[in-house]
Amino acid sequence: MSRPTLIRMAIVLAAWVALATFPQWSGFWESSRFAAGIIRQILIFAIFASSLNLLVGYAGLPSLGHAAFFGGGAYAAAIAAQRLGTDQLTVSLGAGMLAAALLALLVGFLAVRALGIFFLMLTLALAQMVFAVAFQATELTGGSNGFSGIRRPTLLGIDFSAASDLYLLVCVTFLLVVLLLWRLTTSSYGRALVGVRENERRMRALGYDTRTVKLSAFVVAGAIAGIAGALSSYEFRFVSPNDVGLGTSVTGFVMVLIGGAGTLVGPVLGAAVVLLIERVLPSQLPAQTVLGVVFILFVVFARQGIAGALRKERRA
Amino acid sequence: MTFEDALQQALNGLSFGALLFILAAGLSLIFGMMDVVNLAHGAFYMLGAYVALSVTRATGSFWAALIVAPIALALVGLIVEPLLLRRLRGRHLDQVLITIGLSLVIADFIRLRDDWGWGATVRSLPLPAGLDRSIQIAGSDYPTYRLFVIAFSAALALLLYVIQRRTRLGALVRAGVGDAQMLSALGVDTDRLFTVTFAVGAGLAGLAGVVAAPVFGLQPGMDVDALIYSLIVVVVGGLGSLSGAVAGSAVVGPADTFGKVLFPQFALALIFAIMALVLLFRPTGLLGRVRIGR
Repeated sequence: MSRPTLIRMAIVLAAWVALATFPQWSGFWESSRFAAGIIRQILIFAIFASSLNLLVGYAGLPSLGHAAFFGGGAYAAAIAAQRLGTDQLTVSLGAGMLAAALLALLVGFLAVRALGIFFLMLTLALAQMVFAVAFQATELTGGSNGFSGIRRPTLLGIDFSAASDLYLLVCVTFLLVVLLLWRLTTSSYGRALVGVRENERRMRALGYDTRTVKLSAFVVAGAIAGIAGALSSYEFRFVSPNDVGLGTSVTGFVMVLIGGAGTLVGPVLGAAVVLLIERVLPSQLPAQTVLGVVFILFVVFARQGIAGALRKERRA
Repeated sequence: MTFEDALQQALNGLSFGALLFILAAGLSLIFGMMDVVNLAHGAFYMLGAYVALSVTRATGSFWAALIVAPIALALVGLIVEPLLLRRLRGRHLDQVLITIGLSLVIADFIRLRDDWGWGATVRSLPLPAGLDRSIQIAGSDYPTYRLFVIAFSAALALLLYVIQRRTRLGALVRAGVGDAQMLSALGVDTDRLFTVTFAVGAGLAGLAGVVAAPVFGLQPGMDVDALIYSLIVVVVGGLGSLSGAVAGSAVVGPADTFGKVLFPQFALALIFAIMALVLLFRPTGLLGRVRIGR
C-alpha cells in the first residue's frame, strides 16, 4: 500500500474508533442515548446508500428500485429468524443477504438490458412488483400491517438486544462494508465499472462482457443493501412494505446524489444530512419541505454533492 | 363474471384509461420532446385537484375549476421550467433530484394548508350537477360522470391531435421531439418552446387532477400513485407521441381494472409486469420512436 493510502486508512480507522466509542465518551451529554440511536440509523442508511452508490456513482446505473433489496433483506432476515426459531445473527443476516442477492440477480437480469433513464424506470417498476408481493403475501410478511415482534440477534453468545450492543454491531458492519467497497472500487473490477459508465461501447470493444459486469455490480449492491435491511429489522424490530417501497428507494437515491455519487464518503454524508433533517429538525419546521428545498439547492449550487463541494473547496 | 359485469368493468377500464391519457399526455410531451424526467408530474396532478377543490368551493361550479386549475398549473410550469429546469438540460440525475425536491415541497405545502381546507385528511369533490346520476346500460346502472370522462378525454385527444397536426406550435413540437438541436440551429427559440411545452404538460397534469378528483377523492399519496401510473403509461405506449399516450392508457387502464377484479392478489403486479415485458420485447414502447435500450 502506498503512503497516502496508509494515511487515509489511518484517518478512516481513527474516525471509526471515535464513532464506535461515541456512547462511552458522550455519556455526560443528556441526549447521548438519543444521538446514538440517530447515529445507528444513519449508519444503516449509509450502508444502504453506499451499496446504491456502487450502481449510481460507479457503474452509472441509476436504480430507482434499490429498496427492493433493502426491504427484501429485512423481510428475509425477519422471516428466517421466525420460521427457523433462532436468534443467530449468522442465520438472519445471511438470509437477508442471500435473499437480496437472489432478488437482485432476478431484477438485474431484466434491468441491465435498458439504458439510462429507462434503466431507472425499469428498476422502479420491478421494485414495485416486489412491493406488491410484500404487500399482498400477508401470511409471510404480515401484509400492510408489517412484520412486527422481531427479536434482536445473538452471535457467539453475545446478545445484541441492548441498544449499546446493537450500536457496536452496526458500527462493525458499517466498517466492513466500507472497507469492502473501498477494496472493490479501487480494484480493476471497480475501474471496469467506471469504464462501463464512461463508455460502454469502448469497454465492449476491449472485450468486456459489459452486461455481466453490470449484472455482477447489481448483485453485489443488492446483497449489501440486504445487509442494511437486516440491520434495519434489528434496529426497528419491525419491517413494513414501506421498506420495499418507492419512498425508501428515493431516499437512498437522494442520499447518494446530495452526498456525492461516485465517492465513498458521499453516501455516508448524504445519509447523515437526510436523516438529520428528518429526525432532528425541530418539529415546528416542516421536514419534507426543508428536505425538498435542500434537494433543489443541492442541484443548483452543489452539482457534485457534498463530497464534490468539499473537494472543490480544498483545491481552491 | 356475467356479461353485465364484464361490460361494467370494461367501461370502468375505459374511463380509467381515459383519465390516464389526460395524465400521461403531458408527461409524454415533456419527456419525449425536452428529454426531461419530470418526477413532479404527480405533484402537479395533486395540486390541480386541490386547486379545483378550492375553486369549486368558492364559485360553486365544477366547470370553473375545470378551467382555472389547468391554467394555474400551467402558470406553475411557466415559472418552474426557466427557473429550475432550463439549466439542467441533458442532466437526468439532477432533473430527478430537483423534481423530487419540488414534489416534496408541493405535497408538504398541501398537507400544511389546513386553513385552505386542504390538509392531510381525505377530501372529496362532489360530482358536477347534471353528471351526478346513473343511466341504464345493458340492464345495469352506470354513473354518467364516468361516461363524461371518456367523452372528455376523447375530445381532448382530438383537440391535441389537431393542434399537433394543423398548427405552427404543433409543427414545432413535432420537430422538437424529432431533433431539438436541429430546430434550434434553424433559428427557433427552443428555450421558449420548451417553457411553453412544459407549461402545457403541467396544465394537462392539473386537468387530470380536476377530472379525477370527483372519482378518486383527494388525499396525501395521490401524487405518487399518479406519477407511477403515468410513468407506466408513457413507457408502455412510447415516448413523445400522442398516439403512444393513447395506446399506453388504452392498455394500462383496462388491464389494471380487470386485474383488480379478476385476481386482486396480483393486480398491483400485473401492470408492472406488462411494463417490464414491453421494455424487454418492444423497447420503444408500443408506438414510440425513441429507443429505450439496445
